[in-house]
Amino acid sequence: MTGSAVDDLRSRLIEAIGPESVLTSPEDLTAYAFDGFCSGPLPAAVVLPRTTHDVSAVVRVARATGEPIVPRGAGTGLCGGAVANLGGIVMSFSRMNRMLSLDTRNRRARVQPGLVNAELSRIVAGDGLFFGPDPSSQKTSTLGGNTATNAGGPHAFAYGSMSAHVLGIEYVDEAGDVVTVSLDDAGYDLTGALVGSEGTLGIVTAIDLRLMRLPEAVRVCVAAFPDVESASEAVSAIVAAGLLPTALEIMDRTIVRAVEEHFHAGFPMDAEAVLLVEVAGEAGDVEAAERTIAGVARSHGALSWRSATSPREREALWQSRKGAAAAFGRIAPNYYIQDATVPRTKLPAAIRRVAEIASDCGLKVGNVFHAGDGNLHPLLLFDRRIPGHIEAVAHAGHEILATCIAFGGTISGEHGIGTEKRDSLPLVFSDDDLATMARLRDVFDPRRAFNPEKIFPSGAVCGEVRAAQATIPAGTWL
Amino acid sequence: MAVEAAREFPGFGLAGRMPERVFVPQNIDELAAFLRECDDAGRAAVVFGGNTLQSLGNAPARYDVAIDMRALAAVVEYEPRDFTISVEAGMTVAALERELAERGQFVPLDAPRPSLATVGGTLASGWLGPRRARYGRSRDYVIGSTAVLPDGTVAKSGGMVVKNVTGYDVTKLYVGSLGTLGTIAKANFKTLPVPEVRRIAIAALPERTSARAVANISALGEEPAAALVIRGFANEIDGRDSIEGRMLLLFEGTARAVERATREVRSALGAAGVPETRLVDREVPSTFAHVIDAYVAPLGARSTTYCSYGLPADLAARRDLLAARAQQNELILETIEDLCNGDLVARVSTNMTSEFVVHIGDFEAYRRDALPRTRVLAAPGAIRELLEGWSDVPSSLDTMRALKARFDPRGTLSPGRFVGGI
Repeated sequence: MTGSAVDDLRSRLIEAIGPESVLTSPEDLTAYAFDGFCSGPLPAAVVLPRTTHDVSAVVRVARATGEPIVPRGAGTGLCGGAVANLGGIVMSFSRMNRMLSLDTRNRRARVQPGLVNAELSRIVAGDGLFFGPDPSSQKTSTLGGNTATNAGGPHAFAYGSMSAHVLGIEYVDEAGDVVTVSLDDAGYDLTGALVGSEGTLGIVTAIDLRLMRLPEAVRVCVAAFPDVESASEAVSAIVAAGLLPTALEIMDRTIVRAVEEHFHAGFPMDAEAVLLVEVAGEAGDVEAAERTIAGVARSHGALSWRSATSPREREALWQSRKGAAAAFGRIAPNYYIQDATVPRTKLPAAIRRVAEIASDCGLKVGNVFHAGDGNLHPLLLFDRRIPGHIEAVAHAGHEILATCIAFGGTISGEHGIGTEKRDSLPLVFSDDDLATMARLRDVFDPRRAFNPEKIFPSGAVCGEVRAAQATIPAGTWL
Repeated sequence: MAVEAAREFPGFGLAGRMPERVFVPQNIDELAAFLRECDDAGRAAVVFGGNTLQSLGNAPARYDVAIDMRALAAVVEYEPRDFTISVEAGMTVAALERELAERGQFVPLDAPRPSLATVGGTLASGWLGPRRARYGRSRDYVIGSTAVLPDGTVAKSGGMVVKNVTGYDVTKLYVGSLGTLGTIAKANFKTLPVPEVRRIAIAALPERTSARAVANISALGEEPAAALVIRGFANEIDGRDSIEGRMLLLFEGTARAVERATREVRSALGAAGVPETRLVDREVPSTFAHVIDAYVAPLGARSTTYCSYGLPADLAARRDLLAARAQQNELILETIEDLCNGDLVARVSTNMTSEFVVHIGDFEAYRRDALPRTRVLAAPGAIRELLEGWSDVPSSLDTMRALKARFDPRGTLSPGRFVGGI
C-alpha cells in the first residue's frame, strides 16, 4: 500500500465511523498486529465499531478501496487467525461487548461478538443458567472469536463445541449488507457454515446462544497416575464404559509442577500424570458416578483419588488447569502448543509417539489436554536462543500432526487453522475436498476480502495445492 | 411413456411425476459417475432413501431420473470404544440403531418409520425430532461426511474424531438441504451410551386440566427427554379413541433420576387435576416410535400434516389459530405439541376423500399467511402439488441461491424442490 493509499483509507474510515473509532498511530497499530500465536504486518488502520451499522460502513469502505478486513476478538487465538497477513483493516469488537437480550424461559441470549465468554455465564448465573463452551481463555476471549474458531474447552466433551450452542447469527456480508441467519429458519444451515469459518465468510455482529441449566451438584476430582499413558488408558476406559463425566482432563508432571508453583491449587506434585474429572448433575447421581469413575481409574493404576468438596476448591482446580498457559513461562523460555485430535482409543499410543518424537528432536514436551475428546495439546518446550531449536520444533510439530492423522485423527480440535496450519491442511483433505470448501468461500467472499490468507493453503487456487514442508511463519512467538 | 414408467417404478413418483429411469449405485464411484453423466446431459435427478419424507420437498421443476441409495448400506467403520461410527448413507435408520444398540449406544435421530428411512435421507431432510432439546440436533452428531456433488466431485469434510475444526464444516450445508447441493454418500456420527432407564408416562388430559398441566410440566426439576401433548392420532398411538388430549412424557437417565422424575410428574399432574398417570417401562422404544411415526402418518388421500416451529411459550396460541381456522374450513384437526422444543404438528383431514381437496386450499392459504415457519411434513402426492413446502422464505435466500448455483450450477439435483424454488 502506498502512503497516499493509506491516507485515503484512513480518511474514508474516519468519515464513515468517526475519528474516535479509528486508530492509526504506529503504537496503536502494533498492539493489533499479533495474536496468541504470531505477530504479522502492521494493519493500515484499526477500527473499533460501536454498532452493526459501523461494521457495514467499514466493509463498504474496504470494498471501495480493495482493502482486506480482519475481524478480531481478544487476540487470544493460537493459530494466527487474527493477524492481518495482508495488512489492511483490523476490526476489533472491544466496543461491541454487551448482552443484547436474555430470554431465561427459553434459555437463549443474544450477544454482541465482543462479549467475553466468562462474562456471559456470570451474567446469567443468577437465573440458574450457564454457557457451555469454556475455552481456557474464557476470561479474556470473546464470544465472537469463540464463534469464529468453533471453540471448545474442557466442557466440550459433555456439551459440544460452539456450533452446538450457536442458534443464529447476524453478520455483515461482503457487500456491507446485514444478514440474519438462524437455525429456526427454513433453508440451508448458514449458521452452521459460519461457525468455525474463522472470519473468512462474513463479519459476525450478533450471536444467538443457547444457555443451559446449572446442574444441581458438581464435583471435581483429581487422580494421580504413575505415567501419562495409564492416565490416558483410564480415560479411554471411562469413555468406553459409557460413563458421562462433564470433563476429563490430563496434565503431565511437567505441567502440574509449573501450574502448582503458579497457582497452588493442590494438585499432587509427585505424580507423573494427573487426571481431572468433573461430574455434574443430581446430587445422588453425582456421588454414584464419582464412585464408578474412581473405580475405573483405580483399576487403570490411579495412585490416589481426591475430590474437591467446596466450590472454592473446585474453582481453584479449574483456574489452574485453564491458566496452565500462564504458568508455562516457568518451565521454558519458549513453547509451541499443538491441537491435534485422535480417536479416544488411540490416546495412549498417540501420547507415547509424541514423547518419542520430542525426544528424537531433542526437545522437552509437556502435555495438558482434553483427554475425553482425544484432543491433545502437547507443548514443545525450547529456547529459541539455542541454534537449531526452532527448526527442531517445526519438525517435531509436523511429525506430531502427521502421527495424529495416521491414527485417524486430525490437525485441529478447537484452535483453528488460521495462518499456522494452513499449509498442513492438504495432509487431511484432498484437492477436491478443499475445492469444495472453496466453493463456500466463493459464495460468501468472492474477493477474499475477509481475513485473507487463512485456512486455505498458501498459493491455493481452486484447491490445486500440495502439502508444504514443515515451516513456522516469521513472527511466531517461539 | 410416463404411465409405463409409473408401472415400472412404483415408489419413485413425486407430485404425480415419474422418472424415466431409476439408478441404483453399488458404490460411491458409480454414484459419482452417474451424477456427472446426468449433469453433462442436463438430466435432473432426485435422490431417494426410504421415500418416507419426500413430502417435505416441493414438486421438482424437472425430474428425469431417480437415484435409489439403498444399496449403499454398509457400516464403513465402527469402533464402539471411540463412540463413533461411519456408515453409508443408504443404510436404514433401524439398521444403524440395531448396530449401535448391540454395543449399548445410540444416535438421537428420532426419524419416523426408521425401518424404511435411510440415514442419508434423514440427514438431508433436516429432520427435527422431539428429543433435540435434551440431546441436540442430528447435525450436532454428524462429525464428518463424504458427499458427491453434481459434477461428480467426491468431497469429504470433518472426520472420525468428536472434536474437529479442521477446514469448513461443509457437512452442515448438506444436512437439511433436501439433497439440492450434493448427495450424502457416507456419514460419520458420534454416538451416546444408551441411558440406564427409559420410561414413558402417559396421562389423559381433560380440557380443564390442560393449561395447568402444561405449565407444571414445563417447570419440572428433572426435565423430560421429550414432552408431548397429543390431541387425536388415536389409532397411530395406542388405539385408544380419545377426544381429550393426552400428555406423553419420556424420561431417560439413571434409575435414580427417572424415579425422581416419576415422583415429580405424578405430583405436578396431580396438582393440575389430572386423574391418572400410566407408566410404560417395557415397550418404551416401540411406544415412542409410534408417536414419531404419527408425525408423518397420512389418512389416505384426505389429510395433510404441517409442522409449525416456534417457541414453547406460544404453542397454545398457534394451536388456537389453527383450530379456529380448521373449524371454519370444516377440517378435522389433530395436533402434537412438543413442550420442550415448541414444535406444533398439525394434521388436518376430512372424513371423505372427495371433501378434502375442497377445503384444504383455503386452510393452506391461511397457514402461509398467519403462521410463519410452518412446513409441510406429509401429504399425499395429488394434494402435495397444491401446497407450498414452507410458509415463508428466509431473509438470506439470495445467499442460499448463490450456494445452489455454486454447488449445482446446472440445476441437476432436485431442482425446484427446496425453499424459494431452489
